[in-house]
Amino acid sequence: MANNFDVIVIGAGHNGLAAAAALAKGGRKVVVLERRAHVGGLAAGEEFAPGYKTLGLLLDTHGVRREAVDSLDLADHGLKLQDAETPVYAAQEKGPGLLLYRDSAKAAPEIAKHSEKDAKSYVEFRAFVERITPFVAGVLACQPPSIVPTACDLVKLAKTGLSLRLLGEKDMLELLRIGPMCIADWLGDWFESDLLKTALAAPAFPGTFMGPWSAGSVATWLLGECSAHNGVAGGPAALTKALEAAAKAHGAEVRLNTPVRSIRLKAGTVTGVTLEDGSELHAPVVLSSLDPKRTFLGLVPPTELSMELERQVRVFKTRGTAAKLSLALKAPLEFAGRKGERFAAARVCGERIDDLEKSFDAVKYRRFSEKPYLEIRVPSVSDASLAPAGGHVVEVLVHFAPHNLEGGWTPESAKALAEAALNVLERVAPGTRANVVGQELLTPVDLESRYGLTGGHIYHGEHALDQVYSLRPSVDLSRYATPFPGLFIGGSGSHPGGGLTCAPGTLAAAAVLKAS
Amino acid sequence: MTTTTAVPLVTEQVASKYKDAKPTGEYDAIVVGGGHNGLICAAYMAKAGKKVLLLERRHVLGGAAVTEEVFPGFKFSVCSYVVSLFRPHIIRDLELPKFGYQVLPLDCSFLPLPNGDSLARWGDGERTRREIARFSKKDSEVYPEFGKAMMQMARFAKPLIDSPAPAPESLNPLELLDILQVGERFKNLGKDNQTRLVKMMTMSAADFLDEWFESDTLKGPMSVSGIIGTFQGVRSPGTAYVLLHHYMGEIDGAFRSWGFAKGGTGAISMACAGAAKHLGVEIRTEAAVAKILMKGNSARGVVMANGDEIRAKIVVSGVDPRLTFMGLVGEEHLDGEFATQIKRYKFRGSSGKVNLALDRFPNFTCRPGDGNHLRGDIAIVPSMDYVEKAFDEAKYGDFSRRPYINIVIPSLTDPSVAPPGKHVMSCFVQYAPYNIKEGPSHWPQRREAFGETVIDTIEEYVPNIRQTILHKQVLSPWDLEKDFGLTEGNIFHGELSLEQLAFQRPTAKWSRYRTPVDNLYLCGSGAHPGGGIMGAPGELASKEILKSGAI
Amino acid sequence: MPVPTPFHPRTSALCTSYRWKQWSGYHAVCSYETCHEREYNAFRQGAGLLDVTPLFKYEVRGKGAADFLSHVLTKDARKVKVGQVSYVSWTDDKGKMLDDGTITRIADDHFRMTAALPTYYWLEKNRRGYDVTVSDVSDQIATLALQGPTSRAILKKACDADLDKLGFFKTTACRMDGFEARITRTGYTGDLGYEVWVKNADALKLWDHLMDAGKDHGIEAAGLDALDITRIEAGFILLDVDYFSAKDCLIEARKSTPYEIGLGWTVNLDREPFIGQAALKAEKAKGSKWAFVGLDIDWLELEALYLAQDLPPSVPGAAWRTAVPVFDQDMGQVGQATSGAWSPILKKNLALATVLNEHSKPGTKLRIETTVEFKRQSVTATVVEKPFFNPERKRA
Repeated sequence: MANNFDVIVIGAGHNGLAAAAALAKGGRKVVVLERRAHVGGLAAGEEFAPGYKTLGLLLDTHGVRREAVDSLDLADHGLKLQDAETPVYAAQEKGPGLLLYRDSAKAAPEIAKHSEKDAKSYVEFRAFVERITPFVAGVLACQPPSIVPTACDLVKLAKTGLSLRLLGEKDMLELLRIGPMCIADWLGDWFESDLLKTALAAPAFPGTFMGPWSAGSVATWLLGECSAHNGVAGGPAALTKALEAAAKAHGAEVRLNTPVRSIRLKAGTVTGVTLEDGSELHAPVVLSSLDPKRTFLGLVPPTELSMELERQVRVFKTRGTAAKLSLALKAPLEFAGRKGERFAAARVCGERIDDLEKSFDAVKYRRFSEKPYLEIRVPSVSDASLAPAGGHVVEVLVHFAPHNLEGGWTPESAKALAEAALNVLERVAPGTRANVVGQELLTPVDLESRYGLTGGHIYHGEHALDQVYSLRPSVDLSRYATPFPGLFIGGSGSHPGGGLTCAPGTLAAAAVLKAS
Repeated sequence: MTTTTAVPLVTEQVASKYKDAKPTGEYDAIVVGGGHNGLICAAYMAKAGKKVLLLERRHVLGGAAVTEEVFPGFKFSVCSYVVSLFRPHIIRDLELPKFGYQVLPLDCSFLPLPNGDSLARWGDGERTRREIARFSKKDSEVYPEFGKAMMQMARFAKPLIDSPAPAPESLNPLELLDILQVGERFKNLGKDNQTRLVKMMTMSAADFLDEWFESDTLKGPMSVSGIIGTFQGVRSPGTAYVLLHHYMGEIDGAFRSWGFAKGGTGAISMACAGAAKHLGVEIRTEAAVAKILMKGNSARGVVMANGDEIRAKIVVSGVDPRLTFMGLVGEEHLDGEFATQIKRYKFRGSSGKVNLALDRFPNFTCRPGDGNHLRGDIAIVPSMDYVEKAFDEAKYGDFSRRPYINIVIPSLTDPSVAPPGKHVMSCFVQYAPYNIKEGPSHWPQRREAFGETVIDTIEEYVPNIRQTILHKQVLSPWDLEKDFGLTEGNIFHGELSLEQLAFQRPTAKWSRYRTPVDNLYLCGSGAHPGGGIMGAPGELASKEILKSGAI
Repeated sequence: MPVPTPFHPRTSALCTSYRWKQWSGYHAVCSYETCHEREYNAFRQGAGLLDVTPLFKYEVRGKGAADFLSHVLTKDARKVKVGQVSYVSWTDDKGKMLDDGTITRIADDHFRMTAALPTYYWLEKNRRGYDVTVSDVSDQIATLALQGPTSRAILKKACDADLDKLGFFKTTACRMDGFEARITRTGYTGDLGYEVWVKNADALKLWDHLMDAGKDHGIEAAGLDALDITRIEAGFILLDVDYFSAKDCLIEARKSTPYEIGLGWTVNLDREPFIGQAALKAEKAKGSKWAFVGLDIDWLELEALYLAQDLPPSVPGAAWRTAVPVFDQDMGQVGQATSGAWSPILKKNLALATVLNEHSKPGTKLRIETTVEFKRQSVTATVVEKPFFNPERKRA
């Protein structure tokens, strides 16, 4: 029958597609159900102004897991990794700013403009990060153990413990020390340049409810940094294309415009899904790549949910703190400190750690930052087809803007936020405002309705030490299987978390294949 | 502001001034610093038959746990003002009640609100339920469940403060056994509490309380137990764990540990001193130690401020790690790596103290009269946002315009500390950052304004407070450093942040009271398990010392 | 610090003994006189009037009320008809008892629920997916229990309802002396009896009106001490004495399931999902570890123990609730008796006990610890059917 499957995957974002590809490759009959009219989820491109296309919400592909690329044969489906790192330019109002590379050799001359001493320290700093990377990456690459360890988990934990010990006593103690620390203190141990510290710290905050003085921000920084590579050639669009091709090549079916109303359970066991139009699809396994709150509070019938599980899902923190501003420029984005240079990635995060902290302060009180921190990508630098000739697409993640804005989001408050972001940008890139020919601002509430993200959270749930590994999204749900036989989860709300990684999807698929 | 000279009353009964009776001969151990931890450590060593000399820089014993008659007739617990976690076995071992130790329980936590309402939480559960229900019926029913969960976790965590920290870098099988035993107890905790505990280690107090409660009025005063004495806000990750400490006192069986010491906090120190002296410890006050006498990499005794040298087999320091190593030992005797670790060990004092002598009890508009609600602790913290905003101001180098204030009025419970009908009111104030933006040395110029801010804040709840103030004493963190030797005014001898706790207090590999300097030990709050009037660092240090065979 | 109930002006005037205790944060009379005997006799011979306002009371309204209650209770509330009262229990996810109480179906879409512990939040958090509202009316409704053989005669005089037609565990609205009241034929004495529910404002009128109507029928204000004996005679379990709410238990061993405390009859297993269903199904299939039983303590053996000390036999006048161990014949402990009393009407020494299931068959001879002249001893206690006392008039 056309409506009988081995596995139903809900959501065709990168994790849903990766899971579908892995399951189809494993010989399962798979259907992917997507609510929207196209695949890609947060990495789906859309036109936002006449002739201008955004790549979507998640723009960085340097976190895509090599294990996923290899196991899904994505290379055979057109995926290529970039040869060179894309540096990120940290803008300054007066001064040259800082073009920051992970590669310390390339970064050194840039840093030296601000501090000779820091240029040297950066080499050591990166060497330390390199040394602990295998350990962190190892932890991120496998299914987390249960918090109440089984014998098998104990072996796993012992291995983790051993690999920690193998770092050598000094690095191990240092990792244990910095793990719970705030990034301001940690970078303060290493560097003196305020701009360097600020630019380096900034990537720790997307998807968190933290500022640089928040304990635990070193961990969220390491989470992103210890799996970074040069990224995918062609960016998110190329990734989505390769994933879709791989899934289809292995026989997975993708149905668009097919929203799911509920997951069907019989005596607590999965039997399929009911679609919004009332029709039913049958499968013994359903894998949801939606966020955990949407899955359990939205799709699982309320009376099936135990009090404990409901509590666990409810306390999973999903406070969105970012808005998305897409700008259509009729001319290139040009920074005062670097006339004539075209950067594909930039950030405007102030020039001192406290500037970042102040932009975070606002969300604690349900306000958006007056001077937001902007994470900028200019995809049209490498792909001219995204904008009309001479024009550019500037994509900005605006931090921090709360989902639960005091008084609620209105067109006026959204406009005020866009203005605040443009003011910040104008200060480091004068003349930009005059070049804007079109713009779209998506508040966290818009992100919620467009992408189905609870709380408008770009990572399906905050990155924080209490929401990673065996605790993501909760103690009973951290291993992709759920208390409902046949129901699996594998979105960014699962270990190892959000961003374009394909990791939760592939790990969840592995759990399905192992279970059946 | 006038601060009259303190009049030590009891110190002279157990100690003599250094200049009056210079110590002679060689000692087994010299303890530097006569705070409660130093006294306890000395007492335990003496109990084991060792010859111990204790040296205190000030004219009065007790360190930060001190009662001083700041104004004639008014006796203040100048710094530390309530007892929470004093280890009951120390009280029994050293027979402290014989030497005057007595704690009067606090029965109420009173929260006045700016809108004229108030919330009082009592020992009586039903009464508390009714109080909380006025703000949230849901919270009133969750409150006892929360207490139960916290108590279960506190039962797990408590042994950690009663034993030295496990050392994860060790390959010693006995150490691993220790860690496994912790694991075994963890296993018995049940999944719900296991998860909570793991999450608590890294969550913020605010997030943790948000998981349970909806009323900000209730969460405000509950959240501050996560930040007292730290340079963190209630939304700073890592502050949830400290909430547990609040519940640890509750589980010492029949021993109710939240309370005032009769005669002020100094009475605890005097009881420790009395016990120490009884056990044979020689105690000298006004005995400032200038240096630790070094021979090679080994401590051989101390050099006094006047140049005298006193020798001992070991030296035990009750002062904080930075003062001990950078001050008393000297960087020249330390290896670079260790010196770096000590330098980056964080203090960042964040609190001050305002002590008021009052003509009458403070009459709160929201709950008039001198009822039992004034006999517990009174918290000025109407919401979590209030205290977080107070922190934000401190973060950028200013004292809070509207600070969190914890008030106690011991004279209502213990009439011996004030003249009849008059009262002492002790206000613990946070945030008052040591590092104000003008620089810490500018505190003397800001002190008056800081004191006024505190009184202005209280005035919003007690309108006539100004008319009833007979005397006031304002202590900024800078004063705490200067007067009590607390580096950067940190009342806990170093931040209680996760990377400075347990096996990392004060630094990794040196969390067991020993130091890289041979024959030099730590016994103060800068050692595991940290600050507060617990006595645990002092006791645990003495045990490690005796076990080591150094004396 | 307890607060007064709406009846306090009357109860405090009568309570010459000053014997009060706290009940859910309210002042409650233990006994009006120093000895509770007259009050006990009122329950069994005339009518006792007891202030039970401290019970927690909730109104559940809405189209989904019956479905909702069926989900949160172990009983299928949809089977409770309008005008009917049902004794219910509820458990946590793992089937462990949280509390017991009653639900009264006032209308199709309206139930009133009583509980011994605050239960508002628990109801509220399980409400998702149901078309209901829950409101806490605990401190808006005042309640008196009128219990005893003459209670019907008294109420008939006091109100306009047709009480001859009001069956056991049924409810009716009625009018009294210028105010509205709700009557349920329920109680905690195991006898003929009613509970009367009014708005707080009508509380004193209700008290005066019933006292007036009952003055020729042996009515007496009665306290909790007398009640405790009657509820033991009736074999009724008491929260925090005979079992503990799972939410208050620090250890698993303290928790119990409905089956283990004799409330298995309040569980309707085979139906839509309800809280605790899976665990209770598993227990039903496997059998329960514990059982809640009545014990008849051998009087002659007890008398002999006293005689050996040259003492006349003595039992406490009031019910006791300090748990004592229960043993099998080989003196291995098989459980504990959690409350008991000398029954003046049965002339028996009774106890309620939780014992291992295999020792729960009526007729089983166990031994119960008893202390005579400071010496720990044991006497035979036979497992017997509950209730110990079950007069026909209760249901007639």
